[in-house]
Amino acid sequence: MTRFPLTEAQSGLWYFQKMEPENPILNTGQFLEIVGPLDVDVFRAAFDRMVEETEALTLRFAEEAGGPVQYLDPAMRPTLGYADLRSEATPEAAAIAAMRRDTDTPLDLTRDPVAAFTLFRLSDERYFWYERVHHLAIDGYGWVLITNRVAELYSAAINGTNPAPAFPPFEQAVSENAEYLSSERRAADRAYWHDYLANLPEPGSMSAGRPVSGHSFRRHSRFLRGPILDKLRAVAQTAKVTWPDVLTALVSAYCQRFTGTSEVVVGVPHMGRLGSKAARVPCTLMNVLPLRVKIDDRQPMPEFLGAVAKDLIKARRHGRYRSEQMRRDFGLIGGARRLFGAMVNVQPFDVAPKMAGLDVTLHILGAGAVDDITFTFRGDANHELLFETDTNPNLYSEEATRAHGERLEEFLLHALDAATLSEVATASAAEAQRFLFDLNTTEHPVRDVTLTQLIVEGMRWAPDAPALRFEGETMSYRELDARTAALAEKLKEMGAGTDKIVAVALPRSFELVIALVATLRAGAAYLPLDTEHPRDRIARIMQSAKPICVLATAETSELFEGDPVLLTCDWPKIPSGADLAMPAPGDMAYVIYTSGSTGEPKGVVIEHRAIVNRLEWMRTHYGFGSHDRILQKTPATFDVSVWEFFLPLMCGAALVVAAPGAHRDPAAIAKLIRDEAITTLHFVPSMLSAFLAWPGVAGLKVARVFCSGEELTADHRDRFHKAIDGELHNLYGPTEAAVDVSYWPASKDDRSMPVPIGLPVWNTRLYVLDANMKPVPADVVGDLWLGGVQLARGYLGRPDLTEDRFLPDPFRPGERIYRTGDVARFRQDGAVVFLGRSDHQVKIRGLRIELGEIEAAIMSSGLARQTGVIAREDRPGDKRIVAYIVPTETYSEDAMQRHLAATVPDYMIPAAFVTLDELPVTSNGKLNRAALPAPSFADTGVRQATGPTETLLARLFAEVLGLPEPASADADFFALGGDSLLAVNLTLRIQEAFGRDPGLGAIFEHPTLSSLAALLDADAQSDDGLGNLIRLSNETPDKTPLFVIHPAGGISWCYRGLARAIGRPVYGLQSPALDPAKSLPESLDALAASYVEAIRAVQAEGPYNLLGWSVGGIIAHAMATKLREAGDKVDLLALLDAYPAECWRAEPEPDEKAALRALLAIAGYDPEGYPELETREDILTFLREGDSPIGNLPAAALDGVVRSVLDTNRLVRGHYHGRFDGVLTHIRAGNDHQGTNLVSELWNEHAAALRVIEVPFKHSQLTSPEATAMIVPALKNLLETERR
Amino acid sequence: MAVTLEKMRADIAEMIGEEPEAIGIDDNLMDLGLDSMRLMNLILMWQEAGVDLEFGEFAEHFTLGAWWDAVQKRQASK
Repeated sequence: MTRFPLTEAQSGLWYFQKMEPENPILNTGQFLEIVGPLDVDVFRAAFDRMVEETEALTLRFAEEAGGPVQYLDPAMRPTLGYADLRSEATPEAAAIAAMRRDTDTPLDLTRDPVAAFTLFRLSDERYFWYERVHHLAIDGYGWVLITNRVAELYSAAINGTNPAPAFPPFEQAVSENAEYLSSERRAADRAYWHDYLANLPEPGSMSAGRPVSGHSFRRHSRFLRGPILDKLRAVAQTAKVTWPDVLTALVSAYCQRFTGTSEVVVGVPHMGRLGSKAARVPCTLMNVLPLRVKIDDRQPMPEFLGAVAKDLIKARRHGRYRSEQMRRDFGLIGGARRLFGAMVNVQPFDVAPKMAGLDVTLHILGAGAVDDITFTFRGDANHELLFETDTNPNLYSEEATRAHGERLEEFLLHALDAATLSEVATASAAEAQRFLFDLNTTEHPVRDVTLTQLIVEGMRWAPDAPALRFEGETMSYRELDARTAALAEKLKEMGAGTDKIVAVALPRSFELVIALVATLRAGAAYLPLDTEHPRDRIARIMQSAKPICVLATAETSELFEGDPVLLTCDWPKIPSGADLAMPAPGDMAYVIYTSGSTGEPKGVVIEHRAIVNRLEWMRTHYGFGSHDRILQKTPATFDVSVWEFFLPLMCGAALVVAAPGAHRDPAAIAKLIRDEAITTLHFVPSMLSAFLAWPGVAGLKVARVFCSGEELTADHRDRFHKAIDGELHNLYGPTEAAVDVSYWPASKDDRSMPVPIGLPVWNTRLYVLDANMKPVPADVVGDLWLGGVQLARGYLGRPDLTEDRFLPDPFRPGERIYRTGDVARFRQDGAVVFLGRSDHQVKIRGLRIELGEIEAAIMSSGLARQTGVIAREDRPGDKRIVAYIVPTETYSEDAMQRHLAATVPDYMIPAAFVTLDELPVTSNGKLNRAALPAPSFADTGVRQATGPTETLLARLFAEVLGLPEPASADADFFALGGDSLLAVNLTLRIQEAFGRDPGLGAIFEHPTLSSLAALLDADAQSDDGLGNLIRLSNETPDKTPLFVIHPAGGISWCYRGLARAIGRPVYGLQSPALDPAKSLPESLDALAASYVEAIRAVQAEGPYNLLGWSVGGIIAHAMATKLREAGDKVDLLALLDAYPAECWRAEPEPDEKAALRALLAIAGYDPEGYPELETREDILTFLREGDSPIGNLPAAALDGVVRSVLDTNRLVRGHYHGRFDGVLTHIRAGNDHQGTNLVSELWNEHAAALRVIEVPFKHSQLTSPEATAMIVPALKNLLETERR
Repeated sequence: MAVTLEKMRADIAEMIGEEPEAIGIDDNLMDLGLDSMRLMNLILMWQEAGVDLEFGEFAEHFTLGAWWDAVQKRQASK
């Protein structure tokens, strides 16, 4: 039998199926529902004739040395199965179940027929004709051909007419493909796509997760009928494009709403048959073309549609060029790299065929793999379109799938009426109602009074109760009443009153509280000043606020020279009883200055009514009463202090004022909580984190802790509940909306990740809107806007700024909303999740990075006058941090690098530094990101690469790093922007080009091109990174090295980050189990002895430094014991969260499955996040597709890792510790092991002394960049001291 | 109403927004931007004009000349 190679269209499918032989998703299928007097014999004859004409249905496949082949095997010719289900209770369900079973059965294509057909008879006049063909043999248009052929032959037989000629032979498709492969046309097509796809952005995903096809898909089907189709055809006609192209354009625009990018890349199936002699051959020819759609919301709709249609026309003209080939051309193979995201599939020909005398309906069962999300429209758009939303179940829930289907229909309906896309909301009407109105139904009556009145009422309830506590002293409400009245009288005399400002520049003290309350009683607004702020800032605030006087102490009064100052020593203490008129609810209550992005402080004016709403909500919501004791520790210049000061006073509770400076001292805070029986206090999350890290907090009891001001993380929440008995509440709000506008109980049982900022407080509205001020649905990121009674009056003396940030509420006429500048999203349940500042947060390789933090670090160096840090993506998929610096005279890039290395984690160090004379700014003074030049990762080497090895390497460097030309011989891979991921790519390229793998280790050790070439040339035993001893760092070679011992997986690459930061040579020991040829030691002691021998080859005698994580720690301990026995010194024995062997002896040994799952952890994934990965195949495939270096290991090495996990665990269980007679340093994972007996002290009996360092991470996170950043300084410190 | 070569040329031109003169008898119509949907629309138009045409045969040979041959054959066989 003639064997044909696979066509290009088939190859991709073949490899997909080969990689996942058990995946049935390529079994495409459909059934015709036939109602009427079907003549079964005529139908069978028509079927037989179609099968005879359709050679592809007899295809078989085989693997030969030269690759896969196919041939026609008449023995495989399908026959029509027949099943009479008339006697079944539910014939339809029985038929569908039978079809499902067949479709879900994976095929062995070397053995099984590619096709199966069954006619199910459900009743006398109702049939389902089921068809199933593997995608390798047929595509969507092929389906239309064969199905319609049967219908045509049937009708011809019934009507006695002549059918059209038979299908051409299959060979015609094969030869057509072969001709195309060597044609000029293909070269032209290739050139077109190379041009079209240059600078391709990430296609953008509508869902988080890995877009790798599963075994099944979810489907939501609906019919589009009526007005939407009329509009579709009318719009198409006006725009002079076809209606399928209108659909493609508008669906792309819909997708863009979810990706958050300005350009999306969608996949558009293309029949690839027109003008070809294969046009009528049933087979697989279909291609999927990438379509780049740039969205400009303001573009007139016909222009937008025309532009997309034009691109589609050009794409189709070059549509024979395979998308698989494009992916290869652009290196978009494997892992999450891809050409396009969503697919938009418009099938105007997919209509049920006509059969004489019968009613026929078409039902599509499956149309191939669904990697992400596919929107399919079938039909001619005259009466109806069948609209299917198919999704990858790994990425979209059933609920989300249905929501997309429903929402997209609405989006289309609106878009077809819209003049521009900006008019069309992403949210459906129901979603808009829910997110704009239902969730914001917060109306709650609040007395229309002033803060002053609330305080005065509170003071009079129980005059003898303690109002204030400060450093052991108490002041009663009676005294507070008198003191504040006296000072208020004096302030009135000085001119205080409605909308006048009194500045308060006092440290925490009784006087501070008296000053604030007195100001309010005088009817004026207070302005807090921090005397530790820069003099210049205070001066600018004074100038802008023009307070009638400053309340200050003698020590700080010199800051206010020339202003009227009332010193605390001059305050009257006894009131005269003069009338203090109450202010009105619309008067100013306080003015707090915040930093503007331009550096000019802005005074936020809050009125009484706003802050009263906030305080009354808090009192009621959390049930505050006179029994409460509230700690005041927040500086008065930060608006959180507002409730700390006044909530206790209005409740008649006790206000406990912390000593100045105490808010930064965990010990002082804990003591205050205990001594003063504090019931309520506030933390900024970073301070909470530091507080929780302090050992003295354990067992603290406090009714409620409030957090705000920064993002409260799930880690904070969980650590809090581990250490402290009390409620934790997350609040959110800008100064511009009276302290807080939303709340979330971060309770012990809350599993939210991230912790939301929650729901609106009373009389308050939270909107998440897109750039066109339209609502977005849940999970879509938008700008957070606030509305309601708590909004500030505006910025003092800056109507321009007020106008910019406070806008009319588009949804509630007459109201205002405030733009927070934060981005957020709604969760499905309506809680709001804060995602950071709109302009200043990026994610690089999964790590979220605050660019502002890097900027702050750069400014703190003293080497920069100004800086702007941005994340650039000059090559698609390759985001890098770039710092733009206006340098000082002392600037050098080296010095800056060193400074940053000492201040921020290494993943935050910019990949490039660009110096500029000045930073470009926009008209409103903000950094003009678009005007920043792209950095050149310049190759400054002078020597050109010579010789075959260097020349080839120079090309590979350029390819992997995206250099404009081949690298020089001096080029340093990492200095040119390489990172560990790119290094893996380089090893793969080298393997392809040189036929051998230099190993990742070689690139780290020989980053310069010439030395790497020399290594390759030497053809020395290539380091595949799997040797027994690998060098992880060669920093400062004169220092004593550190030896790090592998964890259970046997590989010590996990220490790479630590090795690069520790500033001395680092060697990693790796398990002999990695090499299948090596035998395994019989005990852990024997293993440790062999490791001691290995390290002696590097360092003949002590003192030695050893470190091991997990099992590696147990081995390190055994090594240290042996070294001491041999009389050597051991300076450092550091165990990263290891526990002695006896803890494990009783535990069940891990089986292969557990070992495989451990592999996930080793590769940096959280195994709990991937419960679906069970089998060896699953896990290995997953790892290979992922970006981790482990996934790119050869299969034998992966086996080795599994072997190592199993073997090392066996050795640990049989191990008995000797005693190490030195100091054992135990670095404990503080966020793990609750509820277990795993404590550091277990080592006490195996070492002479124990030093414990606890870090706030989980066991699995100890070699993460964040943990490394915390552990390395401690280790460095130990290493330096131990030496002395 | 019969379908003529000039009507076909004009209809195709209209469909792809070109002048009729721009359509050569042997030009590959796909290169001129004709796609399956537009082809379908043309076939429907010409069917309304009384020529029973098949998508498949048009799809194989994508030039005005080949189509005109097919149309002539159909019209002759009537």
